[in-house]
Amino acid sequence: MLLIAGTVPIPDLPLTIGKVSLNHAFLEIEGHRIPCTQGTAAMISAAAVTTNYLGIDPPQALLAGDTGKGKGSHELYEYLIKNIAEICPQTLALHYCLPDIGLMRRLCEAVTQYAQRPVMIADAASMYAAKAAYKAQEFDIFTPDASEMAFLADPEATHPAYIARHLFNTEASDIPELIKAAYINKGSAKHLLIKGALDYIVRDGEILETVSQPDVPQLEAIGGTGDTITGMVAAFMDAELEPHEACIIAAKANRAAGQYASTTPATSVRQVIEHLPHIFKENLCQWSGVCYIEGGKQ
Amino acid sequence: MPLFKRKQPSFEGGGLVLFMDVGEAMRAEKVLKKAGYTIRLVAPPPELRKGCDLAVEINLVEQPGIERLLNEKDAPYVQVAPSKLGTAEILEIVKVTDFGDWVMVKAANMKLSFEKKTGLIVNTSGGGCPDIPYLHAEMIGKKLDEAPRPKDVGFTLCALMLDRALDEAITIWQGEN
Repeated sequence: MLLIAGTVPIPDLPLTIGKVSLNHAFLEIEGHRIPCTQGTAAMISAAAVTTNYLGIDPPQALLAGDTGKGKGSHELYEYLIKNIAEICPQTLALHYCLPDIGLMRRLCEAVTQYAQRPVMIADAASMYAAKAAYKAQEFDIFTPDASEMAFLADPEATHPAYIARHLFNTEASDIPELIKAAYINKGSAKHLLIKGALDYIVRDGEILETVSQPDVPQLEAIGGTGDTITGMVAAFMDAELEPHEACIIAAKANRAAGQYASTTPATSVRQVIEHLPHIFKENLCQWSGVCYIEGGKQ
Repeated sequence: MPLFKRKQPSFEGGGLVLFMDVGEAMRAEKVLKKAGYTIRLVAPPPELRKGCDLAVEINLVEQPGIERLLNEKDAPYVQVAPSKLGTAEILEIVKVTDFGDWVMVKAANMKLSFEKKTGLIVNTSGGGCPDIPYLHAEMIGKKLDEAPRPKDVGFTLCALMLDRALDEAITIWQGEN
């Protein structure tokens, strides 16, 4: 089972856990309707589209309303710490939240005490918290963009706003140096999918593959198109692909959906997600080497 | 095997609010606790001390919301600083990408895109703090100079970086019109 945990910008949404379903522009969970926009909602939407295409169980989501004050984030992490063994996810993907070093430490301790360790994925502020808490190495996959990669490479920074100027100024060609630094500083998960003009797929500090085509630079401007990549990675991991395969396919699919949607900087993430089933149908068999019939495994 | 395990602090925030005197620190603690922030009084390292040997440890990510609250409540402080020595200064620089009809401005992990002709904000992206999806919904479709300021309604460093991007976007747009 894939569990995605994160906050959504609905102040009065209580802590909610359940299966999610997609209904046009909304996610539905336990009677709540959540708009598919930037953040955890975009991630869950992409994961749900992917699991639906693969014919596997839809993701479960653990959500809390939070617009920045942190109450929902704290409730969400406290719930996970207390209940992770009982929930028993095969894949745990942590996303938007108010990063809290102490809570991240406690969650990682709770996971290590649980016999069936899940595949651990972090993006957004959950990734910031994991790095700041020196727990990055307990994660299987991080999905940073270039500036977040500079943050992972800076041993002192606890948030990307405080990264060293020379690291922020690095060019795309300097990403391999940031990868090395992040691994040396123990600021990286085992695998990285670094999103950018050139996507890097990395395992234990070694660049396994890069993805550059199709080139759709406008995707960087669209809020949520990094979240969709992480959602697809989580879904593919739950379908038991190898981490590097999940990352490569997600990177390719996101670019292809962006191209298919004829994106501009004014495009919404929902318009990109809508094209994923078509992209999977056209390419997944070739990209993965494993062919699926839509709605069920072959 | 040691008989006693060193107890880890219950809260590690990564940021310090520094003061000139103890009274200011006590007042700030009261204001922040009343607002629901998780904080604690600590002794700042000598390198960061600003006249008072008491500081308030905060979650550094919450710096913008905490500074706004202290200012609103007339609770004086000297500055907020990362508690780890060697941490860089907060990023002031931005990067700009021209997409033809649109411009994207990037500050740290945050990006804001606007239409050149109208000055309408068409997208925000990046970040990972909980106020960012809220600001995304609040800002898109509004003109640069009419949109809510992330530093006024957001709470986190992600919001502060989005505000930097907005500042630069306004400068670029006003320069072109």
